[in-house]
Amino acid sequence: MRNVAIIGVGYTPVFVSKRKDVNIVEMISEAVDAAFRNTNLTPDDIDSITFGNMQTFEGLNLPHLWAADHISALGKPTIRISTGGTTGMSTLQAAYYQVASGLYDVVMAVTWEKQSEGDSQVGLAGIVMPEVMVMVQNGMDLFGGRGIGGMGGGSTGAASYQATSYLHHSGASPEHIDKMAALERTNASKNPYAHLRKATTVEDIQATPFISWPLRYGHTCPTSDGATVAIVVSEEKAAKLADQAAWINGVACCASDPTTANLIEGQITDPAEQQPARIAAEKAFAMAGIKNPRKEIDMAELYNGFAHQSLMWLEKLGLCKEGEAHKMLDKGALDIDGELPTNASGGVFSTNAIGASAMNRPAECALQIMRKIEGGHQIPKKVRNALAHGWGGLFQYVTVMIISDEPRKA
Amino acid sequence: MAAQERIVASVVVPFDYTYNYRVGPYLERYIQELGVKKIMAVKCEGCGNVVVPPRKICGECKRVMDEWVEVGPAGTVENYTVGHVTLNKGLAEPADPPVMLALIKLDGATSLLAGEVRRTEPAELKNGLRVKAIFADPAENNLSDLDHFEPAG
Amino acid sequence: MDRKVAIVGQAQTKHSEDTGMPRERMLFELVKGLFGQFGMTRHDIDTFVLCSNDFETGRTISNVFEDTPVGAYMKDETKVEADGAWAVMYAATRILSGIYDTALVVANSLGGSEFRPYLIMDYQLNPTYDRQLALINEPSAAAFQARSYMDKYGMTDAYLDMIAARLLRNAARNPNALRAKADATPEYVAGSEYLYEPLRKLHCYPFTDGACVLLLASGEKAKDLTDSPIWIKGLGDSIESYYLGERELFRSPSARLAAERAYKMAGISDPKGQIDVAEVSAKFTHQEPIICEALGLFPEGSGGEVAEKGLSEIDGDMPVCPSGGALGAYPFSAAGAIRVAECFRQLTGSAGEAQVANAGTAVAHGQDGFCAQHNAVIVLTVEEG
Repeated sequence: MRNVAIIGVGYTPVFVSKRKDVNIVEMISEAVDAAFRNTNLTPDDIDSITFGNMQTFEGLNLPHLWAADHISALGKPTIRISTGGTTGMSTLQAAYYQVASGLYDVVMAVTWEKQSEGDSQVGLAGIVMPEVMVMVQNGMDLFGGRGIGGMGGGSTGAASYQATSYLHHSGASPEHIDKMAALERTNASKNPYAHLRKATTVEDIQATPFISWPLRYGHTCPTSDGATVAIVVSEEKAAKLADQAAWINGVACCASDPTTANLIEGQITDPAEQQPARIAAEKAFAMAGIKNPRKEIDMAELYNGFAHQSLMWLEKLGLCKEGEAHKMLDKGALDIDGELPTNASGGVFSTNAIGASAMNRPAECALQIMRKIEGGHQIPKKVRNALAHGWGGLFQYVTVMIISDEPRKA
Repeated sequence: MAAQERIVASVVVPFDYTYNYRVGPYLERYIQELGVKKIMAVKCEGCGNVVVPPRKICGECKRVMDEWVEVGPAGTVENYTVGHVTLNKGLAEPADPPVMLALIKLDGATSLLAGEVRRTEPAELKNGLRVKAIFADPAENNLSDLDHFEPAG
Repeated sequence: MDRKVAIVGQAQTKHSEDTGMPRERMLFELVKGLFGQFGMTRHDIDTFVLCSNDFETGRTISNVFEDTPVGAYMKDETKVEADGAWAVMYAATRILSGIYDTALVVANSLGGSEFRPYLIMDYQLNPTYDRQLALINEPSAAAFQARSYMDKYGMTDAYLDMIAARLLRNAARNPNALRAKADATPEYVAGSEYLYEPLRKLHCYPFTDGACVLLLASGEKAKDLTDSPIWIKGLGDSIESYYLGERELFRSPSARLAAERAYKMAGISDPKGQIDVAEVSAKFTHQEPIICEALGLFPEGSGGEVAEKGLSEIDGDMPVCPSGGALGAYPFSAAGAIRVAECFRQLTGSAGEAQVANAGTAVAHGQDGFCAQHNAVIVLTVEEG
């Protein structure tokens, strides 16, 4: 199996609520430029491009076609990947497979979102809008049937079920969600590429009103405009082109069936079950030769639209025992200088250009391993193995990557 | 058992989302200049192409274009079609009279600009026809300040 | 390249204007049918590559409800949002990586009954400019492209009619085609109404509901599964500028580059000599000569002569689209996958009345964008080589 490495990352200069100064393709071009600057590569070095975002957020179909002139794609193989919230990592995985296949040696993965130009709640509700409309048109009382309405109409509704179940099974308390939120926002305050960068205390979080118990405004992610680009290469090219590399040693993905129609995984009764997380993590660990994840994984970047999810994913991905995550939080083990720094970047919880969000996770892992983090959130201890996680769909997709400081042994 | 009274075979689901697009600095200036009856292009220092409407990057040269050039308002038809339909949200509706569309090389530009040609007959619409831009008056500060083209006579 | 990848099976819907059933049902039946052919279950599939479009399905994340009916739940799955040819190429890279031995590509669209292909195309336009002016739409852009080729090479409308008539006749030999007429003549085609001159309705692809599923496998696995694996010998794609006003519309540099890449990988140095049959995605008749010439199958500008002499007929020198091609059926995301599936039928000798004799090497093509801005080429062979 061919080894594949990330040799560089490019971000737009900022991730903010509204980039008023540029249009979509101008914004994406900034991250492409940054990736070339950070790797000293030129467009001629790139063999192929993978491209991803969640297109209904901009009302723009197959945006790689308009963007082609602006991302140095002319004359190159280009493919568009789109898998909901996991898009960022799925796009990077497509690039990984292109290199792993032996057909290409240097592939650029471009992910982005300019959510300010659409309406995110509508974009999200659009996942099940046909079902909701059908129900409304045929006389179903959505407001009376709050359960279904909550699941279908906006992610916070569904996430609150997940959070409640998680608290129940893990023994964590709502205050742990507040604590995790404060930790990640404070991490983000050190990250120049984060969106929400105000150092935040537990009291600040607790001062925000509830949206749907136990989730408060202070527990939810922003919507951001921004783009993230990563360049992946083969082992030979890594030696030629880069002084440092972060090796993609484990790659996995698992799709459950969608929340509102589910009969198989039990999501409709327990959206905290998330079996795909266990399946994908086990596969990625095996591929990476990680036998004892709790010992060998040095950091985690988890896809957390909501603050409780950091704790939940740690358990579901096998990075700690069920019910243990909040105890680790209490002990300081999840802090940047702890045993298992979690979302040192601030996570999706602090920065969410949704098409890029699942790529920011492996990008941050790679930068941490290569010690190329700009800003103050570099993890002090040596990072050998990092876990990057993506999540999306109707609470149904999980992607996992294990990124390491050395390539997998043959 | 009661007979089935109604079968729901298909439903129409109307979506109505509003998007607000930033046009970016290049198109913003283009629109402003249209308001004073000027058509602005940008030139790529790499290949010399003069591109209208203007944009940030020349895809061939992978360079930022920042040299502004006025082009037109006259130009030459280099491609054309007579439309017997117009599209209304993706559905073709008859166009009567037919619509005349052209790809026009404005004087000074290398790129072709799509435009509607009026005040002529379909039989006159052919490559080489000289046309001039007709501007909206008063200007409304949007793209249709360049309203259409007419034969330059 | 040590690893090899082959297609071991295909299935398509009978393409229609209205499939008469929900998308999920359509996919379930199709995939179940393919599994039945092989005595397989979803657990025999290592990875699923889906291909569908958010705007066409009317759903943000079009694959959320497709995973269950195709059997991808609790399994490795991803989605390409582009023409199906790209889904096939991506699945091939997954198998060539060595991590997977079997891959299922499922591509679908209900562009006939559920939404409007021309509007789906409109959403691809630059929203700050082209979409505002509404001058460029799919048929008007295609008309400019037709005019460009016809002016450059002196081809007339009559040849557009001849190409369309040939494809309609071919489609009549394809049990899955939507639009077919066994005795179609150029006069019949010329009787259809103009959209944007010179393009008439029968010069343009029909709005189609349909799906295609392809089973890919690594070399050894493919030989286990079937006696006639069809090898993916070469693949390539390339993209051109978005800006129509800066492209030479009478030729397709990106299709040419895509073909060069695929041919190089496949060891094809003489396309005319080495390729026995071509399935190209020409959404409008004039695109057939443009694409075929870019693929090196005919000389530049020869569209009229090819039509006149019948060189692209099923029994001609270089058979093109014996299936009826895009004019016979064009389900938006599935189209390129269907071209691959039709090559598979040809190379396994199972193309029935559309069979090209002794077909050993085939080329499939898919496109995306206005006037084929983005092109993919896949070379398939009977010989493992």
